[in-house]
Amino acid sequence: MLKSLTDLVDDIGNCLLFVWDVIVTAFTTPCSFTSVSDQTWKVTMQSLPTTAMAGFFVGAIMTVQFTMQITTFGALGYLGGLSTSGTVREVGPLLIAFLLSGKIGAFTSAELGTMQVTEQIDAIRCLGANPIQEIILPRFIGIIVASFFLLAAGLVMSVFGGMLLGQVFSGINPEEYLRHIPTIVTRYSIASGLFKCFVFAILLASICTYKGYSTRGGAKGVGRAVVSTAVLTMVGIVVSDWITSLFSDTFLNMYLGS
Amino acid sequence: MISFKNVRKSFGEREVLKGISFDVPEGQILFILGTSGTGKSVLLKNIVGLLKPTSGEIYIDEQEVSKLTEKQMFPIRRKCGMVFQQPALFDSLTIFENVAFGLRKHQPELTETQVRDRVKECLALVHLHGIESKKPQEISYGMQKRVSLARTVAVNPRILLFDEPTTGLDPVTTNAINNLILELSRKLKTTSMVVSHDMQCALEIADHILVLDKGSIVDQGTPNQLKKSKQPLVQDFLKEALNAEISH
Repeated sequence: MLKSLTDLVDDIGNCLLFVWDVIVTAFTTPCSFTSVSDQTWKVTMQSLPTTAMAGFFVGAIMTVQFTMQITTFGALGYLGGLSTSGTVREVGPLLIAFLLSGKIGAFTSAELGTMQVTEQIDAIRCLGANPIQEIILPRFIGIIVASFFLLAAGLVMSVFGGMLLGQVFSGINPEEYLRHIPTIVTRYSIASGLFKCFVFAILLASICTYKGYSTRGGAKGVGRAVVSTAVLTMVGIVVSDWITSLFSDTFLNMYLGS
Repeated sequence: MISFKNVRKSFGEREVLKGISFDVPEGQILFILGTSGTGKSVLLKNIVGLLKPTSGEIYIDEQEVSKLTEKQMFPIRRKCGMVFQQPALFDSLTIFENVAFGLRKHQPELTETQVRDRVKECLALVHLHGIESKKPQEISYGMQKRVSLARTVAVNPRILLFDEPTTGLDPVTTNAINNLILELSRKLKTTSMVVSHDMQCALEIADHILVLDKGSIVDQGTPNQLKKSKQPLVQDFLKEALNAEISH
């Protein structure tokens, strides 16, 4: 028990040192724009269909749920605004993070882990290059940037899904559905959603690149890295969601107002 | 010249290298023989700073390298080329991009045509032609090993380090790789260190052989000196080499 705890603290410490190394590299010897845009494109394209589909259904689910609640109050006109606000502030960023964690997190960790156990990373070092600059940094930035694109795509699809279900399930026409979105979805909602998306993306990028880069022990080691990436990112996202909610409420509210 | 002075390396409680000292004069081919798990690869990785010794000193051209930071190691690594036990080619890049990788890092001033010519020349050195556009997974394991060799020599290293270059290869490719090591070392006038189990090959091409057992040097000398060794492990290796020669 005590050993597991010390191992966990050790792992967190090493991960923080690794992220620090990535940040220092980003400012001292940045990677090429092409490699970052390649990675961003790859991550976005790999996850776009899933994110769009999930976004559509989240919008639809939110609409159905809100319809059941607000019909009692005769406030169906606010359906679009309420369900979109909920998606922008909370469900959207969380959903994108979970999807990326399962897909890109596991993929990146396995890819880097395989590079580590097949000595490709050692080969990069021996060829006089810095592996953090060459392979980690483009993936790290790529995951963060792609998260925002995917969030945007997911949100658009969720509005579309909500609008469609609003029409079919609740009898609200699209114009009515969209009318209250600008009044209920405030600057604060958007800032809060973007902030959460940023935090989740950093968390995911840090864990999956660190776990992949520090893989040891052949194929079994790669398997272990992928599993611990999946577990740690899921737990990390939920915990950081709670922390960011607290932070958003206290600080963003002070500056932007809800 | 490479010098090891009382180098020790431990992983936790387990001491893998137990006070190793030896010199490799410039232009020589040194073979390090030993059974699996005796610390041969660890020894090689200490030279290029992939691992750091627990104590002791390693000199490359009279510069102590064992205490250098990762950043300080970059210029040292440019002098050394290492061929790994596995081909270690970058999966996502083509053969051309793999061989050009180090070249672009070391000599950014080269034009694209010069890079292309150099890549062709290096692939020709390892007897490979017309595979530049292929991905590593599209060629055989033996060819991957040769591409790995081409990638290493592309940057004109003065020191070549081979970590079991013929492991997992058929006898024909093994022979071809061994001949390549000799050819490249002589042609490029490099200092070479080869970690291997292959005594027969060591006797054929090494200038000096070092036999390692359980982290210590148990015997060393020229091929002719080792042929007369009474050391049991060396005897075993010699018997194995003789058997291999008979079966050929």
